[in-house]
Amino acid sequence: MRETAGYLPDIGEEFEKKVLLFRDKEEVLEVEIPLLTEEQMDKVIQKVKKASAETLKSFSVMELVKIIDQVIDRLLDRNTSCRQKAEKLLPIVTGYSEELIRLGLTSYLKNFRKHELQRFLIEDLGNLSLLDEFQPRVKGGFSKAIGPDLITHIWSGNVPGLPLWSFISGLLVKAGNVGKVPSAEPLFAGWFARLLVEIEPRLSDCFAVVWWKGGNEERERSLFKQTDVVVGYGGNESLQSIQSRIPITTRFLPFGHKISFGVVSKSSLDSHKAWHSARQAALDVVRYDQQGCYSPHLFYVQNGGNISPREFARYMAHELDNFEKRFPRRSLSMEESASLASWRQREEMDIYSNPYKEVLGNAANDWTVVYEENDISFSPSCLNRMIRVIAFERIEDIIPSIAPNRSFLQTVGIATSPKELFHWAELLGKIGLTRITALGNMTSPEAGWHHDGRFNLLDLIHMVDIESSAEEESERFAPYVD
Amino acid sequence: MKQQQEIIESTLQFIQNQLSSEDDFNEQALQIFSYQYQHNLPYRTFCMQKGKTPRMVKTWRDIPAVPINAFKEVTLSCADPNEAAAVFMTSGTTKGIKGKHYHPILHIYNRSMTLNFKQRFMKDTEKIRMGVLFPTAKELPNSSLAHYLALGMKEFGTEDSHYLINDNGVDMDRLLEELSHSEETGEPYALVGASFSFVHMLEKLEGMGKTFSLPKGSKILDTGGFKNQSKELDLDEFYQLLSSILGVDRAECINMYGITELSTQFYDNGNTNVPSVKSGPHWIRTRVINPLTGEEVSKGERGVLVHCDLANFNSVTTILTEDVGIEVDCGFLLLGRVEGTQAKGCSIAVEEFLKATKEFPK
Repeated sequence: MRETAGYLPDIGEEFEKKVLLFRDKEEVLEVEIPLLTEEQMDKVIQKVKKASAETLKSFSVMELVKIIDQVIDRLLDRNTSCRQKAEKLLPIVTGYSEELIRLGLTSYLKNFRKHELQRFLIEDLGNLSLLDEFQPRVKGGFSKAIGPDLITHIWSGNVPGLPLWSFISGLLVKAGNVGKVPSAEPLFAGWFARLLVEIEPRLSDCFAVVWWKGGNEERERSLFKQTDVVVGYGGNESLQSIQSRIPITTRFLPFGHKISFGVVSKSSLDSHKAWHSARQAALDVVRYDQQGCYSPHLFYVQNGGNISPREFARYMAHELDNFEKRFPRRSLSMEESASLASWRQREEMDIYSNPYKEVLGNAANDWTVVYEENDISFSPSCLNRMIRVIAFERIEDIIPSIAPNRSFLQTVGIATSPKELFHWAELLGKIGLTRITALGNMTSPEAGWHHDGRFNLLDLIHMVDIESSAEEESERFAPYVD
Repeated sequence: MKQQQEIIESTLQFIQNQLSSEDDFNEQALQIFSYQYQHNLPYRTFCMQKGKTPRMVKTWRDIPAVPINAFKEVTLSCADPNEAAAVFMTSGTTKGIKGKHYHPILHIYNRSMTLNFKQRFMKDTEKIRMGVLFPTAKELPNSSLAHYLALGMKEFGTEDSHYLINDNGVDMDRLLEELSHSEETGEPYALVGASFSFVHMLEKLEGMGKTFSLPKGSKILDTGGFKNQSKELDLDEFYQLLSSILGVDRAECINMYGITELSTQFYDNGNTNVPSVKSGPHWIRTRVINPLTGEEVSKGERGVLVHCDLANFNSVTTILTEDVGIEVDCGFLLLGRVEGTQAKGCSIAVEEFLKATKEFPK
């Protein structure tokens, strides 16, 4: 099978092609992606910038919302060819099971329908027209939000569709967009771009979805120089190297790799409710095999409920085993397999010196739950369905071991009573957590969420104020002035 | 400790006996297994956890393989570790904890080494003038490689053999002298040592524009990887350079594969083609497994190597490595070490986390 990735405005030239190979079990997929020379890249940038200024900025925000809504509609509809293609090819590219991709896509795409997009806008701007024309302000004067001419997105990772957050945000602020897709999932962003153009051909020059080998310094330097905002995803090391190439006049919004975890209160641990919580927690582990920044690395479970943390760990093991049948884990590379096996063996070996510990798993190593009683230290999982369940007494006991990792913290999945929810949120927010959600929802953030505590749109735009003095003074010069 | 003496004797006998069959190997392996099960307490716990007692284990393939990481966590020794004649340690890791391999006596290790070295590297030659590109055993008392090379030089080197490493790395003056001497006199020369030292040496020789044409019978033995050293070479380039700069045929460039946790080494028959086929003597056997299930993969498929080394009479015979390989006729292809894996998505990988927590002290 062969599929073309990426999207480019027409600059009247042919592009060299690079083929990326993907293999999943029997299926082999060749993904062909255009490889631009630096001159071609410059032409594309100019074209996108021009179209952004002349075309994109002539649309009203609500017009853009409706166009995006139509694209999402098509992607949500399982009868459309684009959706069917996504369901067929993404499992091959990412290795995730078909069922997981199908459910994941739907729950994810729902975030970008018209009403949710309006939520994005109102969340950040408070006024849907602020990007269209000057809006009166309470204190006097007027303001308008202006999006940049060009945003460059450096996307990363294999969680399908992830580029949509920043791509759509870029469109909503009427910026030209150049996005670099990751080799791990080069398809989705290009499909989305092509659908946009199919629905509104006037947008055809407003964005480009490209690929180049990461770390190409000269190319990146030249691109960043022509860019107003760079949105980068990836590990700190690669973000650092991107940053080193960005001129001081270009704004950089880095989204580094993150750690998320869960906290389960004793108040949720009675014999009826605990099963449900364990099931939801297991789902958070299963979805994308913990590869997302919002995926849990560990669960802290409180002592003192009807169901003990040890029992909770066993419940989770049971659920993970069940889910393995419906959502089998993606096939792992030899490196991943070996690292996973060695992680589990090390845990098993640790039992010699720590008799309270328990390591639960099946013979095929499809998942592992490690139960820990005396060691509350915060350490990352090796992912791919390896989860640690740690018993704790009071939230204040675990906070000190989590706090030092502030720069990596993101989501916490919580099961607790209302009063405790706000108390814990207070404490967890203070040490750097930015998103608190229910178990089972960790991998699907709400529309308009504050990604890593930041804003989707506000960070991209700048404001132009007409101060009241200018407005008042202008009256003196009106042709109709007495 | 009569039992230890018995095991040592039967092991020596087995090593000496060139004509041993599969059944003999099995028998010896099971005998050592039950000895280790009895005397090596952490190993017994490990086996019991896997449900593998001497009664359950019927062939050497059933013997539970201990991951090399275990050598860092627990003491794997049948004899009192405090009385060991030698403790070989692995180089540091991310956590800085070293794996320890205890040898109550070195006799078996040495016998295993010399028999194998003679057969696979020296071949028909009894003694050869040797240059060693590695520190001495005195400088690195816990390095199995230092011991190995010292032993090689003592047993098979002529009296003029030398170490070619000083405080600044490769002792170039001495090396040039040795190479010229060999070229002029026609006396075959053997360069042995760590692969990365060879890389440094090649860089320097290239820089000086020096090439040699060592006489027939000269040979090279390199071992260990050279990744993350000054210059990254691929295997093919490495042997091409070695051969063109020193004038030694690639068939005479032997690579040794050994790990601290074993007492026996693997060799290839030269590196005309890479990756070359590695194999060991009759007292070591290798399986290639799927690390997740522990089951053997089919011949020709990639997997992780498990070695059953009967010379490891005191620790554990069967070791699960972190090396990826493929089983082929007459041995296996070594494809390299499993490195830490990068996260595929946007969740942090353990490696990155460890690195970051090291960089920013809490």
